[in-house]
Parts: sequence; structure tokens; C-alpha cells
Amino acid sequence: MFFDTALSTNDLIFLARGAGMTLIVTAISVFFGTVMGIVFGVFRYQVGPWWAAPLTFVLDIFRSIPLLIQLVLANAFVTTVLGWRVSGFTVACGVLSLYTAAYCAEIVRGGIEAVPPTLRRAARSLGMSWGQDMTSVVMPLAARIALPSWIGLALGVMKDSALVYVVQVVELLKSAQILITRLQEPLFLLIVCGSFYFLISFPIARFGGYLERKWSRD
Amino acid sequence: MFNYNFRWAQALNSLPRMLEGALVTLEVALLSMVIGIAIAILLTLFRLSGSRILGAIAATWVEIARNTPALFQIYMVHFGLGGFGIHLSPYLSLLIGIAFNNAGYLSENFRGALKGIPDTQTRSARSLGMTPLQAFRHVVMPQMLRISFLPMTNQMVWAILMTSLGTVVAMNTDLYGVTSDLNARTFRTFELFAIAAVIFYLITKTVTLSARLLAARLFRY
Amino acid sequence: MKSSILAMSVIAATGLAAPAFADKLDDIISSGTLRCAVVLDFPPMGSRDESNTPIGFDVDYCNDLAAALGVEAEIVETTFPERIPALMSGRVDVAVASTSDTLERAKTVGFSIPYYAFENAVVANEGVEMADWEGMRGKTVGATAGTYEAIWLEEKVAEWGEGSFRPYQNQADVFLALSQGQLDATVSTVEVAEANVASGNFPGIKIVDKAPMVPDYVALITLREEYGLINYMNLFINQQVRTGRYDELYEKWVGEGEPADLTVQGVYR
Repeated sequence: MFFDTALSTNDLIFLARGAGMTLIVTAISVFFGTVMGIVFGVFRYQVGPWWAAPLTFVLDIFRSIPLLIQLVLANAFVTTVLGWRVSGFTVACGVLSLYTAAYCAEIVRGGIEAVPPTLRRAARSLGMSWGQDMTSVVMPLAARIALPSWIGLALGVMKDSALVYVVQVVELLKSAQILITRLQEPLFLLIVCGSFYFLISFPIARFGGYLERKWSRD
Repeated sequence: MFNYNFRWAQALNSLPRMLEGALVTLEVALLSMVIGIAIAILLTLFRLSGSRILGAIAATWVEIARNTPALFQIYMVHFGLGGFGIHLSPYLSLLIGIAFNNAGYLSENFRGALKGIPDTQTRSARSLGMTPLQAFRHVVMPQMLRISFLPMTNQMVWAILMTSLGTVVAMNTDLYGVTSDLNARTFRTFELFAIAAVIFYLITKTVTLSARLLAARLFRY
Repeated sequence: MKSSILAMSVIAATGLAAPAFADKLDDIISSGTLRCAVVLDFPPMGSRDESNTPIGFDVDYCNDLAAALGVEAEIVETTFPERIPALMSGRVDVAVASTSDTLERAKTVGFSIPYYAFENAVVANEGVEMADWEGMRGKTVGATAGTYEAIWLEEKVAEWGEGSFRPYQNQADVFLALSQGQLDATVSTVEVAEANVASGNFPGIKIVDKAPMVPDYVALITLREEYGLINYMNLFINQQVRTGRYDELYEKWVGEGEPADLTVQGVYR
């Protein structure tokens, strides 16, 4: 009974489209979130905790409120309060990008802080500018430290993107629910859907763990 | 500036109900952490046991918890187990779903923490006549929990945020559930969810700050 | 010179202000699409066929409305709790989503005259002893969050002071929970109950009784201030009945028989 399913090719295409939506939302959010996260992280490190306090406060909000509420609130604010005509997809990507940026800024700051200050002073005393120091000394070292956490973050965003159904974006989990409504095979469809997340997340997470182990040794 | 008419007074009338919901949220999160830590310790023991089967059970648990969405896990606890005739109330489904997730992540944190505890400690404890379990219980575990204190605080914050997912299993007594119930009646979406957001923020901040104070007291030496 | 600047700014000001007079009805006609919120886990009013295309009474009704306006219809799927937020957030122009015309909702959205009327049925799990609707007392009951019947049922449970109420996010989850035995009973429209029992998708459920609620009149909704569109929709619904299209859709989606009377004796709308 378990694998005797009424799932047709059409339904598979439908599911695949949902999976595509999950991946697109994730890719856009991780990209913009990372760019913003690097800017915010460097800024926070550079100006010191006192001047960065307002930014720290704002970013902290994204990590202290359920994503579901962030999405509902942002959607209500942009479309009802401001009255803009914005698609659910845009709202979803916007919120997820900021959400990613909030976590990414922490990772970036941690990465920069882990670079020994003596090394940076040595670089500067060799006549390197701030920019040269940042790009040729800090970035390669900090990136190594930060990459495993960043991979974890990117995978986290993929899993959290399951919540964007709340602004009418039909992603993987929502597509599965739509099919469940029609086919009434909840267990089978949910397992298919769960496996998809698992098959993407598991190898990448393993790779991240491998990098972490490898780089912490040398 | 806005064409929108804010009606804060109407939404604020619901504040007592929402605060009751906040208590339920906190209760679920705390219980899920207690259960999650207990299971995570068990899973860590499974991994250390050297048994293939126990190790595989622990690994499967950890990988599923860490590599699928929490929303999926909670939905599966309710409707997945429901398909096998195991019926859990919305409250229990949410609690077990979050505890499942907590246990997976915490077990991985514990594993990381164990790397920082030298093997020689276990061996000297064993040579003092302790059984392996005693050595773990009295020597390794206290240090493991101390090293993992910060990740545990983070997981607690996650647990609080995850309670909002109970809505998919018809949970309607927690903060998110109460808020969406009120929203379905009055449609003051922005006002209601803004208040819920502030309450969530205050809860998570209180939890992180008290954890920090607690850590300062507990680990003074 | 000065007066010409003044004249120009007056022209500019009226030119800028002009779009403000275009209401939603104009917007829809000029944009060429009518975006309807439809709930698609609510057969026979809304569901999906084998190729996952939206079908049902509400889908056809939206298509008819779009055709009358001379524009393309775009079906936006929403759940019951999300349909009014989707409207308020401008995600859709109207909701053709079997929305009961409650006074509480009328504080937020604008209702047309009723376009359909439901009766509600009590549906129970076969393993549960239940003779009539009062048998729900003390049981675990549930319904779709944010619907007319959910609000009624939750109040009943509160009134009885025993048993518990569970609001699931969509109709499918309610029937899934009922079929699995997680719920003892639910209240849903007779149409939905009959369709779900007949489909065989949910084994182990039975219709017990009619729910003692006044007929559940449902209307089209749009933003509260869009009188032009509301007027248009009122006339449209009148025409649907007058031309026999209402009977036709009823026969197509619900079956043989008389569709519900949409007027109330003894009172004006």
C-alpha cells in the first residue's frame, strides 16, 4: 500500500516546480543576505560595539522573533500599511535576505575577530592599506573560519524557506500539501518531500563538517 | 503619511489573552529543552557505546533532525504518527516535534564538546575503579554540559521561536496560535502580529540575559 | 509668466491627482486581469484536477466575473485564514472564496449580496457514537481556522465547557485528522461533507446530522471602500441567477436539485 501511489508525472512536475521555488528563494536570499551580512559584519567590527549598537539592535530583532511572524508582519506592513503592490515572492525574498544577513553578520564578525591582531598589525606595518589588509590578509583567513558556519546558515535558510507559504508562495512543502489534499496520501508525499530536503542538506552539511575538521587541524 | 488606520486599542484589548499564550509558549519551550537535553545525552551515550545499532539510531536521529525543516518534523509527529493510529494532541505534537529537533542539534553540540575533554580523564576515572557509565556521569558529562552551555542557550531561543510552528497541528493556546486566532476574527493583522513580535522579543531577550547571568554564577571558577 | 506657471502647476496637480479617482473597478479593467482569491481544498467549490489546474464552482464564478468585466481571470490559491489578509494586502482584487457575510468581517471588508448559501453538517469518525449534533458535547472537535463553522463550533465548545476544539489550517487537514481518528467530529458545509464522503479519500467518516445554524450565506468580498466594484458585483450576481447560470453551475458542481434561495423573506438586503 505504501508505494502504490496515484502520483502521476504531472504531479511530479508540480512537486519539482515547488522544489525549484524553494531553491530559487533560498539562492536569492542567501546571496543578498551574505552580501549584506559581510557589509554589516565588517561595519560592526570596524566602528566598535558602541557605534554599531543601533545596527546590532536591529539585526538582533531578526534573530529573536519567529520567522513566521516576520513574514506576516512584513507582508502586512508593505502591502496594507504602505499600500505597495508587491508580490509574495518579493516579500519572502526580502525578509529571508535580512534574516540571513542578521546571522551572517555574526559569522563574519566572529571570523574577523578570530584573525590574530598581531598578524594584521604586521601587515599594516609592511605598508599595506586597510583595504589591502582586509582583502589579502583578513578575508582569506576569516573566510576559512567562517565557511563551515556559513554553510550551516545557508542550509538553515533552505529549511526555513518552508515558511514562505504564509505569503502565498508555493514552495516544496506547500506543493506537497496541495497534492495531499487531492491524492490523500499524506505519509508517502511527506516522505518524498522530507527526502528532498534531506538529500540536498545532508551531503552539503557533511561537506561543511569535513571542511571544519580539515581546517581546524592545520 | 499612511492611508492605513491603525487600531491599536482594539488589538491591545487582546493583550491579556496573548500574555497567557506567551506563558504556554515558554512552558512548551522549557519542557522541550528538558526532554531534548535528556535525549541528547542518551544519543551521545549511544554514539560512545561502540555498538553499531545504537550508533546508527543516534546518527539517523541527528541527521533527520538537522537536515529537514522543523515544520516538516512537527507535521510528521501529528499526521505521520496519526497514520499509524498514534494520536497526539496539538500540544504534545508540538512539544515532541520541538524536543526531537532539540535533541538532534544538542547531541551534535555535545559531540563537539566531548572533543575538548581529554581521553585521559576518562581513563584515570576508570583506573580509580569507576564503571564507564560512572566516569561519564561524574567526570565527562558535567564538563560537556558546561562547554555546551552557550549552544544550549541558543537552542532554547530556537525552541521558543519554533513554538510558532504549532499552528500547522491546530495548536491554538500558544502565543502564535492565540494571535492568529484573534487575527482570524478581527483581521488587524499588522497590529496583532506587531504586539506578538514585541512579546517574543522580550521573552527571548529575558531568556538569553538570564542564561548569561546564570552562566556567570555557575562557572565562576 | 507668473500666471502661466500657476496654470501649469494647476494642470500638473490635476494631472497627478487624476489617477486617485480611478477606483479598483477601473484598475481591474485597465490592468486586464482580475485576481481572485479562491480556496482550493474545498470541493466542490474549489479544488484541483489531475493536472493540478484549479477547478470548481468558485473558480467558474471567478471566470464568469472576469468575462463580464472583459478581462483575464487569475486564480490565486489561499487558505481560509489567509484569504482576507490576501485581499487586504492587495495580493488579490476580490475573493471568490465562499466567505460568510458576518458582521465582524464587514468591519474590515466589503461584501456583495450573497452568491451562494450553505447548510452545515456534522461529520464524525465512524468509531464514535453520535446520534445528533449535540453528541459533539465533550468530544474532541475541530474545523478549518477562520471559517464561519469554526467560530460557531469554538463558541459551542466554550459554552458546553467540556471537550476541546482544534483549528486546523485547512479543510484537508481537518478531514485527515477526522479520518485518522484524531478528531471525533467536525462541522463543515453539506457540499464539502458529501463530496469528501463520496470521494473515498477519507475512509471511516460519516455524516451524522445537520448543524443547527442559520443558512450560511456567502458573498464575494473586496476592499470595504470599493463601492464601484461592490455595486458591479451585486448586479453580476443578480444576472447570474437571472440568466440561469447559477442553476447551471449548481448542477455542474453540486448535482441535481434546487440551488439555495439567495433571498431572505421579509427584509431588504
